[in-house]
Amino acid sequence: MIRQLTLTFTLAISGMVAAEADWTPDIEAWNSPPPPRPDSVLVRNATIWTGTDQGILENADLLVRQGRISAVGQNLSAPRGALEIDAEGMHLTPGIIDAHSHAAIIGGVNEASRISTADVRIRDVIDSESINIYRQLAGGVTTINLLHGSANAIGGQMSVIKLRWGASPAELVFDAAPEGIKFALGENPKQSNWRAEEPRYPQTRHGVEQVIREKFQLAEDYRHAFEQAPRGRAARDRVPPRPNHELQAIAEILRGERDVHSHAYRADEMLALMRVAEQFGFVIKTFQHVLEGYKIAPQMAAHGVGGSTFIDWWAFKYEAIDGIGYNPALMHEAGVLTGLHSDNPELARRMNLEAAKAVRYGQVDPHDALMMITAWPADQLGIGERTGRLAAGLDADFVLWNGHPLSVQSRVEQTWVDGRRYFDRQADLRMREQLDAERAELMALALAGDNDGNGNNDGNNNETADEPARRRVHSFAAHLTGYRASELDHDEYCIFHDH
Amino acid sequence: MITEFLSKTLAAALLGALLAVPAAAELTALTGATVHPVSGSPIENGVVLIENGRIQAVGADLDIPDEARRIDLDGLHLYPGFVHPGTQLGLTEISSVAGTVDTAEMGNINAAVRAEVAVNHDSELLPTTIAGGVLNAHIVPGGGLIRGHSAMMRLDGWSWEEMVLAAPVAMHIAFPPGAVEDEDNEDLRLIERTLDQARHWHQARAAAEAGNGARPARNDQLEALGALLAGEVILVLHANRHDVMTAALDWAQSQGFERLVLSANADVQYIAERLAADDIPVILRSVYALPTRRWEAYDMAYVAPARLHQAGVRFAISDSGGGMEVANARNLPFQAGSAIAHGLPADAALKSVTLWPAEILGLGDQLGSIAAGKRASLFAATGDPLEPMSRIERVWIDGQEYDLNRDRGRRLYERYRDRNRAVR
Repeated sequence: MIRQLTLTFTLAISGMVAAEADWTPDIEAWNSPPPPRPDSVLVRNATIWTGTDQGILENADLLVRQGRISAVGQNLSAPRGALEIDAEGMHLTPGIIDAHSHAAIIGGVNEASRISTADVRIRDVIDSESINIYRQLAGGVTTINLLHGSANAIGGQMSVIKLRWGASPAELVFDAAPEGIKFALGENPKQSNWRAEEPRYPQTRHGVEQVIREKFQLAEDYRHAFEQAPRGRAARDRVPPRPNHELQAIAEILRGERDVHSHAYRADEMLALMRVAEQFGFVIKTFQHVLEGYKIAPQMAAHGVGGSTFIDWWAFKYEAIDGIGYNPALMHEAGVLTGLHSDNPELARRMNLEAAKAVRYGQVDPHDALMMITAWPADQLGIGERTGRLAAGLDADFVLWNGHPLSVQSRVEQTWVDGRRYFDRQADLRMREQLDAERAELMALALAGDNDGNGNNDGNNNETADEPARRRVHSFAAHLTGYRASELDHDEYCIFHDH
Repeated sequence: MITEFLSKTLAAALLGALLAVPAAAELTALTGATVHPVSGSPIENGVVLIENGRIQAVGADLDIPDEARRIDLDGLHLYPGFVHPGTQLGLTEISSVAGTVDTAEMGNINAAVRAEVAVNHDSELLPTTIAGGVLNAHIVPGGGLIRGHSAMMRLDGWSWEEMVLAAPVAMHIAFPPGAVEDEDNEDLRLIERTLDQARHWHQARAAAEAGNGARPARNDQLEALGALLAGEVILVLHANRHDVMTAALDWAQSQGFERLVLSANADVQYIAERLAADDIPVILRSVYALPTRRWEAYDMAYVAPARLHQAGVRFAISDSGGGMEVANARNLPFQAGSAIAHGLPADAALKSVTLWPAEILGLGDQLGSIAAGKRASLFAATGDPLEPMSRIERVWIDGQEYDLNRDRGRRLYERYRDRNRAVR
């Protein structure tokens, strides 16, 4: 009986393993089945970049159980029925964490109307169907921070998501992530690079500083009003304070319940925001872009703010003129928690090369450079206890590379999230075959059939003459490329958009 | 009188001596490095002899004349400077500040525009690009349908005139996408009408010069098209989308243009066979691009160089060439490197940003490899320069060593590194 049970169990396991091996994603998220989660996975003989004090382990193993990392080390033994992956010659790293993304937001990234839109929430507009999610998995990204744009000094509430391709918007949200909000300083909130139909205050950097300070004053008053409002019987027949979603969100910052991630380029404005925060008794969590972070790195370290930066983007607007590739090296050396982000759905797919450039400019140690796209952005987002490193107890979010992860010649072979293989180069190749077959089938049907609905198979599939030309022009680009505008959106380019 | 004459002579002699300094017949020997000629196999512990700004000899066992100045590059790797096949470097400084942007003239017919005359030789972007090993670039004007003449330039000089290596290199035409399905496309008709007018104008002028009629009224636009019509410059066709590319090539061939180069995005891989059959070279605008269409494979743009190479197409890798990418022209070699990860052989990747762009744009005798007779435009790196982890340590342009501290990034780095260390 027991033997029979064991046999059944083993068969079930092997059946599951086979299903795991056959799993093929779909190009449409709604039609993409979640990959199975093997009970246990053992990756053997890899070069493991741990993202911890252990550094890089040669010829090491990673054991995953129930979606979590169970052990990292040499000569681990596989539990019965474990899915084993021989990673001889391959490198294993934590999944990449992108602390600044707009890659999966429906509609525009900017609610550009008011100077503070602290009341709007990204989690209401997560685009789980965005192809960017799948493509970024193919670049080794496992978690991204979806942020509003930088059109206003106080933007909206951010949302950290895991790239679980095929899951619903609610299921993408990373439940362990603390709440956060986007702030923005400089040219974008002061509307320098486009002509606003109705200019609004502020139009200067000191105006931006002032309006933020004032919002914190209002939020403090709002908080006091609630704290001092009578409760229980004493509240009877009294008008309670009026709820205000905007001030509520800003008051959460003051209570330490919402982290501030602020877009900024120049040293002056970053220094000013740190001083405002200190006046109200909290610490800015990160500066985003932070191109001149190297100029005030000691002050940033003293305040305790992290720096989430680009390597390359400089000189595209005046406030970016002093952006230098050496910024990560200098912030890191000064003791600033330093990370690299994409802010761009294309760049997000090769963040490993951004880390490589941190080695190029200022000779950051390669393992530290890798931590700039894994462990440290995870810490900046407050999720470092769950992901971004390869250590027992953390989520099994990892990437298998066919070579050195910072080499331009390397490619992602597999990307795992929560112990599920969401990207697999082999599965991707299978998907292409399926898509080609489907396309051929549809083409055959189209060529054989009646295409214009006039009842005749006359080979005429022209649109009817009364189809408005304007509509055709508008849908032209979408028909050709299949992209929705929001899939290509990224905030830094908003200066070229027609606001 | 005599004094004045003498002092003038002396001044002239002094000025002559000063001017002669850069071009002095000094012999320089770069020794100890692994030399990567590109046109041949790497040479360990090789020697490169430089005289008058040109490479005099390359080899492993060269006799180094006693008078030669020796520069030891032990442990480094010598490569020819990268050649950018199409960018607007020098024509733009800060893309959001209109006063610094000269990338696109208004109007549809800009045949008479010459890109090189607007190149700011003191642009802050140039030293940063040079620090990335990109030492030469094809500078391309951007506005309208017929966009004007481009120039090949080295990226350092005391004026744009000093930077020009060849001009004009090519006439640029943006093929109108609307002409794919519309035989009467207005934009294409305008291009054709302009070319026809130019043909007639040049016929009339030739006739006038032969004494068979009056000289036609001057017309700068039509006159400028003469080099293209005579086959003296390349025609670069700009197109995205494979159907537009095909239509552009059909059209250009029907017009009788023989020296064609196609400047195109990753969609170009879909017409690789035709390009190979007709031997039309390609400037591939960006390996770092999202797939052209949502449903295409994630690596669609990454594999484009390998697909072109397999089909036998001659090509050079470029970035998008304009907008925000101009400030990041230094990343050109990494685009070629990433193509290796997706199937392009490593030697082809290196050629795609050195020798091939030089050859495709008609400067194969001057640039793109470390070979005798070529310009001494080269750099020493800590390793494979297609790898972002490698660093470029020294640069020579036409035999003169370039001061890498002119790079704004390096200057700010050193200044703030020292300050931050001091306050710690």
